[in-house]
Amino acid sequence: MTNYIQEGRIRLDKTRFQDVLATYHDPCNYGRKAERIFGHGYYDEPRWILSQCMENWVDVYPTRDRQYCCGGGGGALTTGYTAERVFYGRKKMEQIRATGASMVVVPCHSCHGQLNAIKAEYGMADLTVKYLWELVADCLVMG
Amino acid sequence: MTPSEAISMNDLNPARFQDWPFDQNHCLTCAMCSSSCPVSGVDGFDPRKVIRMVSLGLEQQLVESRWPWICTMCGKCEPVCPSGIYIPDLIRNIRSLRDREKVPGILHKGLTAALKTGNNLGLPKDDFVFILGDVADEIAQEPGFEDFSVPIDVKGVNILTTIHNKLVNTHTEDLKHWWKIFYAAGESWTIPSENWEGTNWGMFTGDDPAMKIMVGRIAGNMTRLEAKNLLWPE
Repeated sequence: MTNYIQEGRIRLDKTRFQDVLATYHDPCNYGRKAERIFGHGYYDEPRWILSQCMENWVDVYPTRDRQYCCGGGGGALTTGYTAERVFYGRKKMEQIRATGASMVVVPCHSCHGQLNAIKAEYGMADLTVKYLWELVADCLVMG
Repeated sequence: MTPSEAISMNDLNPARFQDWPFDQNHCLTCAMCSSSCPVSGVDGFDPRKVIRMVSLGLEQQLVESRWPWICTMCGKCEPVCPSGIYIPDLIRNIRSLRDREKVPGILHKGLTAALKTGNNLGLPKDDFVFILGDVADEIAQEPGFEDFSVPIDVKGVNILTTIHNKLVNTHTEDLKHWWKIFYAAGESWTIPSENWEGTNWGMFTGDDPAMKIMVGRIAGNMTRLEAKNLLWPE
């Protein structure tokens, strides 16, 4: 994806979401887990891609390797322990709320599913949860 | 018995997990893990207690406990542990000890279906190909994507991509994003018509043999279709 953008193989319209404030969530597997297993945590790459799509975004706190898990990882979305999973997500939702963002961008299917599933429980039903690649596709300039 | 109840000295079996490579015996009981954990206290869960239980070989209590399944193995505890204990991996190993039929939720059922049919849903090949074609037709109706089609089982491509089962089940709209990017970038890519499942629930249930089979199938697709790179977003 980074290559597509750097090499000009895709063009992105940065104005499409200019009126939206977004934030970004590091999935455990892209961050901490990758850092331990592969020796490199993917913190900067998705943020760079995000910056090619929109200028108006802020990080949550804490972030990167200190990021809170969404609560849906490790198969938690499918164990049936729903109350525990919703409770788990409380810190994540507090983090997002504190940024004032109306959109959270994630590059993970589990995080995406969890954040969408719990946002209403925390009074944030209007929060848009967007895949990083969905954001890129939304910003594509064709022709 | 639950992990919070008193235990008899006769139940201790410190030799039981001595061959586990997670350094659990180096625990200082400092509770940095417990402090960092977003679900400490839920159902009495405490990662420090889990580590001590492994050290003491309390196998039955660990296997029957809900704790290893409440933990998401997010790894927040691991970097703060002064003894460098591999806590998420240790949790996963405890999960692996549970009777497969007692794995909570649909994890093992989905995995069983995947081993048998190639995907968690047990979706037949014809249905899968039909869904992909249907979604491709929708994309082709959008401006700028008029001649879009989905390349299935194309040999010699640059990128082979797996599919998350939910994208051919309840979230077909989310199939479109990567496909549009590939189209816009002029990428050479393909989706295999069989063994396309991108999730690998053996990772969550601690089932290494199953996990190996699932990964082997993806590698098999790469070889069969002579693909250069793999996109595995799951």
